[in-house]
This record gives sequence, structure tokens and C-alpha cells, in this order.
Amino acid sequence: MSSALTSSATAVPQMALKAARSAQRRQIRTGLLFVSPWVLGFLAFFLYPFFATLYYSFTDYSGLGAAHLIGFANYWALFHDSLFRTSLFNTFYYTAVELPLSTIVALGLALLLNMKIKGMAFYRTIFYIPSIVPIVASCMVFVWIFNPTNGVMNSLLSNLHVPGPDWFFSVSWSKPSFILLGLWGLGQPMVIYLAALQGVPKDMYEVASLEGAGPWHRLRHVTLPMISPIILFNVVLQLVVCVSYFTQAQVIESQDVGGPGTSTWFYVQYLYTQAFQFLKFGYSSAMGFFLFVITAIITTVLLKSSSRWVYYAGDDR
Amino acid sequence: MKALAIGSALTVLMAPGTAGASALKPDGGVVNLTWETMWSGPTLLLLKQMTTAFNASHPGIRVTEENIPSATGDAKLQSQIAAGDPPDIFTEWNPVIGEYAAKGYILNMNTYLTGAYKGFVKWMYPLAAATGTYKGELVGVPMSLNSWALYYNKSIMKAAGIMSPPTTLAQLTADQAKEWIISGGKLSQIGMYPGANGYQYFSTFFGALNCFNSAGQYDYANTKTCPGATALMNWLTNFKSYPYAQVNSMNATYGAVAGGDDDPFVAGKEGFNMDGPWEGAQNIPDANPSMEGNFGVIPFPGTVGGPSTIGQGNFNIIPEGASNSKDAFEFITWLAGYNNVKFTSNIDPQGGWVPAGPQIAAAPAYQAYVKKFPWMTTYLEQMSSKYSQAPLLTTNQEQANTAMATASNDVQDGSMSPAAALKYIDTQANATS
Repeated sequence: MSSALTSSATAVPQMALKAARSAQRRQIRTGLLFVSPWVLGFLAFFLYPFFATLYYSFTDYSGLGAAHLIGFANYWALFHDSLFRTSLFNTFYYTAVELPLSTIVALGLALLLNMKIKGMAFYRTIFYIPSIVPIVASCMVFVWIFNPTNGVMNSLLSNLHVPGPDWFFSVSWSKPSFILLGLWGLGQPMVIYLAALQGVPKDMYEVASLEGAGPWHRLRHVTLPMISPIILFNVVLQLVVCVSYFTQAQVIESQDVGGPGTSTWFYVQYLYTQAFQFLKFGYSSAMGFFLFVITAIITTVLLKSSSRWVYYAGDDR
Repeated sequence: MKALAIGSALTVLMAPGTAGASALKPDGGVVNLTWETMWSGPTLLLLKQMTTAFNASHPGIRVTEENIPSATGDAKLQSQIAAGDPPDIFTEWNPVIGEYAAKGYILNMNTYLTGAYKGFVKWMYPLAAATGTYKGELVGVPMSLNSWALYYNKSIMKAAGIMSPPTTLAQLTADQAKEWIISGGKLSQIGMYPGANGYQYFSTFFGALNCFNSAGQYDYANTKTCPGATALMNWLTNFKSYPYAQVNSMNATYGAVAGGDDDPFVAGKEGFNMDGPWEGAQNIPDANPSMEGNFGVIPFPGTVGGPSTIGQGNFNIIPEGASNSKDAFEFITWLAGYNNVKFTSNIDPQGGWVPAGPQIAAAPAYQAYVKKFPWMTTYLEQMSSKYSQAPLLTTNQEQANTAMATASNDVQDGSMSPAAALKYIDTQANATS
């Protein structure tokens, strides 16, 4: 009798446990089913291409037929290719100037658009519009604005008795011109900063004001720390955008690709040329993987350094 | 739309029955062919006419023309071939086909040069056939060709005190120098500026094309075996005294950015310009009719002893893995005008095209066109000139052309010496990885 009671008493929790496990498995299955489109997409469109690129970077591959393993020959060739070095330099020049500038300008615009003044919706729309203009169209507009002979910019400078440069058509001014073009379409990061600014608790500003903090101190000690995770997020995103710079240079310098001289050969443009024009998919894969490694290193440094300048509310670090 | 419909109807009526292939297939079925092109605008309308006419005269074959953006056309074709699902025909810019042939992307059409097509290669201009041949294999067939000659603006010449078009290179160099107008540092008129195409398109005028060493590598820097290359680069250095940036910006102003067809010459702002027949037959009438009658065309006064041009054009290729290659070949030869002289001699003038074979040029419809635009004779004569040359199709031809464009610009903007520029071309063109 007692042993029957005991076994019955243990059977009930076991059954409950079994039912719970079964429900958990069902939940996992359902969860997996829901995330499966993303997982499949990740496997097919990210993980496979990533490892395929790594593999092809060690091969001589024209895009068709068999790829022949050639060890590190492609990587070795990279460092003996003067255009590769030039494109790397041009890209990092662009990134080194564009990244901080775009961060400052986008954040500055967001701060202005966060002010409580009449007609703000209109201003927000105006500043966001450039980011929805197709890139090719904006490039054409900028070619006109920066036309050295009869462009708007040089006409304005001429009225101020300042000789205008040759912009996109000058070796020394071509990259700065692309940087200016990049600053024009900052709607996306600006909107993200604006959303972050609106998430900063108002009472923090009130307390800071009561403590005697002026606008600069409120910005320096309240706003920037509170939105610093978003700044980090945007900087990493913009970094990837900068190192992948392609379309604008391809369109604007279409008559003189990479020109004037080699001043606008950007990395991804050269990578694309190697792959789809010269059919050197092995070499371009090596370029792609090299760029990935460099970007990963910079991103890691940024993330590591973030513990010093990014503030996460509730984080005890 | 109405005009297009009428045009299509006319082309159907004009389309000839073609020897050999117009009947339905033995099983009564119809073979569907896909033809991918990268054209737009008026040329695309001509292609539609051609497709309609072919389909009307070939009930056993149905061609569908698909237009793809030129910026991504090559990448798309490569992906399609790699995926085993290529179009049956692809119209490609000729510098690419050497690489495609070498790397197995396109079919060797020699297989089909039998029976009714035995005489096809000889039917074309030798220049056309050579430009589409890789190591003895016919890999591309043009439906029209490019030919390059020198345009001159009559009123600009007169204003500069030049009585007649130049007949020597030295005269051209001196004449164009008189035509530049730069006032207060601002450029308002160009004499002549070769630009990025300075090396490639001008190479035959100097005997500077196809310079290779015994190992088959590009060897333009060799002054002994390729003196023409140095002569051409030295000539290009004449242009470094002009404002490179302002010339480029003027080109951009008149639409040369992003593949635009217009240029300062069309706008009446350039004294001399190297261009193809479409400049006079299409661009000027469309964009600036006031220039009609104000220009002339002469062979470029090069150093080789006679008129010449580089073999160049849009070639139809059959991608590897195309499912109906024999029918595709039939379509390709029809587009070239083989057994289709009457239709082609009517359609080529509409595009301002130089035909693929002399029979078309001699046909009444084409002759009527030449009568209307007498300067077309210059282009036609160049096609048969012994000085004209086809660029040898090689694995690295695109690399060579890209390097030539960079080197040409760098010599003209003064950032590279002629010798350094030629060395640069060799280094870039011979790079294997």
C-alpha cells in the first residue's frame, strides 16, 4: 500500500515534468519556425557568402568552372598592387574625414530639430528629404552645383571674390567634394539621433538646470552621455557605409573612373572592377576579406573603447 | 505610341523571308530566344523593330528582347552564366569579349559556320570579323560597327582664321590650339581634347595598337618595337597646357556624365572632336539642330599614311550554357544583315550605324543615307582601310583598356610622363592576379 502510494506520488510530478518538457519543446519548435526565415536568410545570404569569399580568396577563380587553390598568392599580390594601395588610402582618407564630420553634422542637425520652435515638422521634413533622393540623382545635382565653370557654388564664391576650386575634377579637391556630398544625405543618422534625443528624460534637464548647468553643460553632461549608445551605433553603421563607398564615385567619375588621376579610386570600386570587369573573382574575394578584417578590427577597437565613453543606464561598469 | 505601332507594322512588312530558317520547327513548336541588351532611348525602339521583324519572318523562332541597366549588365550576365540560366543572346561591348572567350563565358560560333553560313565571316568587313575573333574562334558578331573620325566645327574654324580642315597632325595640333577660348581663367570653348579615350581610340592613327612582346605580354613601353605608342603619348602631352578640370566639367555640363551622349561639340563649344557617325546622324539633329550644316568629318590625320579606325562595336555573343545556341546564331547573323540586306540597310541608318558588311553599305537604302550625309563616306572608307586594326582579343583586354584610359588622362593632366604612362599600361595590363 505504502509503496503504491509512493510510486503514485512520484508519478504525478514526473508526468508534470514530462508535460512541461513537451510544452517547452513545442515552444522551441514554434520559436524556431518563426525565426527560420531569418535563419535561412542568414545562412544563405550571409554565412555562406562569407565563407565562400574566404575560400575563393585563396583561389584563382574567374567566376566559372573550377577554382584553383593558389594559397596566399592573391593576398601577396594585393601588397604589390599600387592601385590597391591607392584605393585603400583614398577610402581611409574619406572615412577618416567623413565619419567624424558626418557624426557632428547629423548630431548637430538633430539637436536643432529637437528644439521647440514653430514649424518644426516642416524643418524636419526639409532636412530629411535629401536622404530619400536617389543617389544617382543627387550625384547629378552635385555635379551641377560643383561645376567649376558655371556651377552655383563657384558663382557664389566668385561673388565673394574667392576663386572656386575645380571640385570633382581636381586631384586635390575631388575627395573633399565627395565628403561634402556625403554630408548632404545625412537624414538617416539624423533621424536616429533625433529619436534618441527625445528619449532623454526631461527631469534630468530640469535637475541639471536647477543645479546651475547652462546649455553647454547640459549638452556635455546630460545629453551626450544619455545618447552615447546611439552615437556608438551610428558611428559603427557610418563606418561600414564609408568603407563601402562606391555608387557616388562610380557615377560622378564615370568618364574618368577613379580620376582625376587616381584620386577617387575607392576600395569597393576597385574590388568591383576586379571582379566584374576583369573577372578576377579570387583576387576581389581577397580584397573583400581584407576589407572585412580591417573593418572588424576598427569596430572592435570602437566597441572596446566604448566602455570609456558610452553610458548605459543601469550598467554598473 | 501610335508612331511606334506604325513603325513596327512597317518593319514587319519590310522584313524579308530568310533563306534557310524561317519555317516552323519540324515538331511544329516554336523556339523561344531571350536577347538581353543594355540600350535605352531611341536605340531601344530600333531593337524592338528588329525583333518584331525577325519574329515575323521566322515563325519557328520567337525572340524576346529584354533590356537591362548597363551599369549592372555585365554582372547580371556573369551571374546568369554561373547559375546556368543565361540568355540566348547578349549584346556586349567588344573589349569584354576577349576576356569572356578566354575564361569560357561565351560560345565559339565556328561550329555553325557551315552550310548557308559557310561564307558568313568573309561576308563581313575584315575588321568586323577580326574584332570578334579570339584565337581563330568567332566569338562575337557585330550588328553594327563603330568607326572614328574627326569632326570639325566650320564656324569656329572660320572665327579662328583657319581656311580649311587640317591634313597633317602638326596642322591639327596648331589649328586646335587657335580655337581655345579661356577668358579670365574661365573656359568657354575647347579646341580639341582627346580625354580618357586618347590612347585607345587614337591608337591606329599612330600604329600604336597591339604591341606585345614575344611572351605575348603587353609591351607598349618598348620604344623599339612599338614606337607608335610613344609618338601617341608624346602627342597627348600637347594637351597638358589646357585646363583638364575645366574641360572635364564642360563635358559634364553637356551630358557626358553617366553615359550621356551630348558633348561640347554638339553644343557648338568645341572645334575638333573624334567621334562616331552617331554624333552627326543622331546626337546633333536631336540635341542641337542648329549645328547641322556647321560641321564636317575627315579622317584623323595620323602618322600611319592613310585613314584608319579601331575595330569596335557592340557584338552579339552566345553565352555558355545558352539553351538554343543554333537558333541564337541564326538570329545574330540576321541582325548583322546576312541574308537580310534590305531590312538592315534600312535600319542601320536610323541608328547612325556603320554596317557589319560592305553589301549593306552598297544597298540602295544605305546609299540614300550616305547621299543625305555625305560625310558618312569617311567612315565607310575607313572600314576597308589597310591601316585599320582590330584590337587583339586577350584575357586582360579590359585591364589594358582601363589602364589606357587612366594613362591617357594622367598624361593630359600632366601628372604622368609619356614613358611612365606606357609603363603603367604594361604593368596594369599584364597583372595576372
